[in-house]
Amino acid sequence: MAAPTVPKLGPGTTRRDTSPAPTHSRGVKPRSWRRSARRQLFPILLILPAVGLLGFLLGYPIGRLFATSFQNLGLLQLFSHKVQWDGLANYRALFSSGDLGTSVVQTVVFVLACVGLTMLIGTGVALLLGRIGTVLRLVVSVCMLFAWAMPTSAAAIVWTWLFSSQYGVVNYMLSSLGFHYGSHNWFGSGISAYAIITANIVWGAVPFVALTMYSAFMLVPRDLFEAAAIDGASPVVVFRRVTMPIVRPIFVLLTVLSIIWDANVFNQVWYLTQGNAQLLNVIPLGVWQYIEAFSSQQYGLGAATAVIMILLLVAVTGYYIRIMVRTGEVSGKVRA
Amino acid sequence: MTQTTVMAGTHTSRYRAMTWLWRAIAIVFGAVTIFPVYWMVNSAFEPNSEITSLTPSFFPVHFTLHNFVSAVNQTSGTGKAYFWTDARNSLVVVTSAVLITVVLGFLAAAAISRFRLRGAAVFLVLILVVQMVPGTALIIPTFLLLNNLHLTNNYLGLILVYAAATLPFTIWVLRGFVRGVPIELEEAGQVDGLTRLGAFIRILLPLVLPGLIAAGIFAFITAWNDFLVVDVIMQSNNHQTLPVWLYSFTTNTGTNYAGLMAGCTMMALPVVIFFLFVQRKIVSGFTAGSVKG
Repeated sequence: MAAPTVPKLGPGTTRRDTSPAPTHSRGVKPRSWRRSARRQLFPILLILPAVGLLGFLLGYPIGRLFATSFQNLGLLQLFSHKVQWDGLANYRALFSSGDLGTSVVQTVVFVLACVGLTMLIGTGVALLLGRIGTVLRLVVSVCMLFAWAMPTSAAAIVWTWLFSSQYGVVNYMLSSLGFHYGSHNWFGSGISAYAIITANIVWGAVPFVALTMYSAFMLVPRDLFEAAAIDGASPVVVFRRVTMPIVRPIFVLLTVLSIIWDANVFNQVWYLTQGNAQLLNVIPLGVWQYIEAFSSQQYGLGAATAVIMILLLVAVTGYYIRIMVRTGEVSGKVRA
Repeated sequence: MTQTTVMAGTHTSRYRAMTWLWRAIAIVFGAVTIFPVYWMVNSAFEPNSEITSLTPSFFPVHFTLHNFVSAVNQTSGTGKAYFWTDARNSLVVVTSAVLITVVLGFLAAAAISRFRLRGAAVFLVLILVVQMVPGTALIIPTFLLLNNLHLTNNYLGLILVYAAATLPFTIWVLRGFVRGVPIELEEAGQVDGLTRLGAFIRILLPLVLPGLIAAGIFAFITAWNDFLVVDVIMQSNNHQTLPVWLYSFTTNTGTNYAGLMAGCTMMALPVVIFFLFVQRKIVSGFTAGSVKG
């Protein structure tokens, strides 16, 4: 993952530098090297505190996580401060247990459902916002803001109340509509619990996607639509050929972020199942590794599960990240 | 809006019917979206007898503040009510973390967007990849690290963890804002005798201030929400935060939904109000650098 090909970065030139670009091929003179080093010094000083903090409290723990995945680490080892290297034993245990395959498949399906629904509804609502009046648009936006701003923990608790079997308002409304949902237990089966968790995640995620996509649509120059209309293009063609290519970078970025966020959801799964994630016959990897680590105190095994999940995510999003690098989205370049 | 103007030329009845259809869909969508929030507030102001009634009431007919009072006075196992302690801890820890993340994020975003910094692209990819690591997986390594440094049960430890956790996304958002400010403005300032750093602080900073506030709110929500980290690294009752307090409602016999909804309302309301003020800036900062146009 490290060092992707980034052709745009010459060493040490600021954009406002008007002198000819320094030759960074073979014959680099020590003097120009020193000059470039001095030019690098100021930005390095600026970014250093951030790099330091990230290295200290994200980089180091991540490194330790990878190391732990090769260790036998339980409560005994934790308290006696004994490091017990175990080679690939954790990974072997995971792969031979057979649960891993199902959990991976389940996680992928779950994340795909969440991200697919979020992006589909979000983009749809963004288009919808452009087709309704100003007042209604404002009202719908404010509704979305409330959903967006709700803390995930509080929101998940509220949803357990909405879908509560005895006094839940959803059962009441469904019964009033003539369905027999008197005291239906929504969290009785894995599938239905998953459906509610998915709905909760999508509900919380759509506002961000919808409002961002809406403002991205607004950035598309109007004359392009007029030109397309004069050429007699249908709305569908205009969307696919004019709008989408322009907003694609932001769409890709939102998709990647959604995949990352949804694969790592914890609060929603934890609170909605009220700490009893076992009722989902198969548990998403992110929660599974937590259970392994904390409930069974097999920290090494939990770490190995987390590493597998990280690799899976990198593999899935790697393609999109490469697109983002190639389109200059990720480079440090200043766009003129 | 742009689409509507283009299509406004075709004033057919079919077009008008479609507009009404869009409005209807928008209203239904808005209602479904706001409903859970509405229901939370509604339940919070209802007496327990209305909450546990088989025909729920859609408006607090017997309006009461009792749930809030009992939520605030909810005692933990030790017989002490922790609401005010936890609220103060939440506020102190989260605000400090947000300040740190915003300052460091601004400096980093300026370094990345204003210079051809070697390795900037690698750094940006890395902080995107870092977000793929499940937060739950980092709790134990983080705990061990802080324990070695005697930073558990210590506000500083929690503040730094939250600052580090929110920094990657803050840098991403602020980068969009910095890119939206023409570099010529700073150059003009430098011509007038400002140093490079002076130009950042005197010219760039005020211009990206909305972005700083927006990114700050985003960081605030993330840190405000956290339950797991604080639960593991702050074992002492006096050092915990509101999510831990909220969780104490469910550990009692059964779930006290009326009190719980009052608790959720108290936890969510400050965030929602802050958020309403600044959301526009978040979205514009996010799209600023990302759409070619």
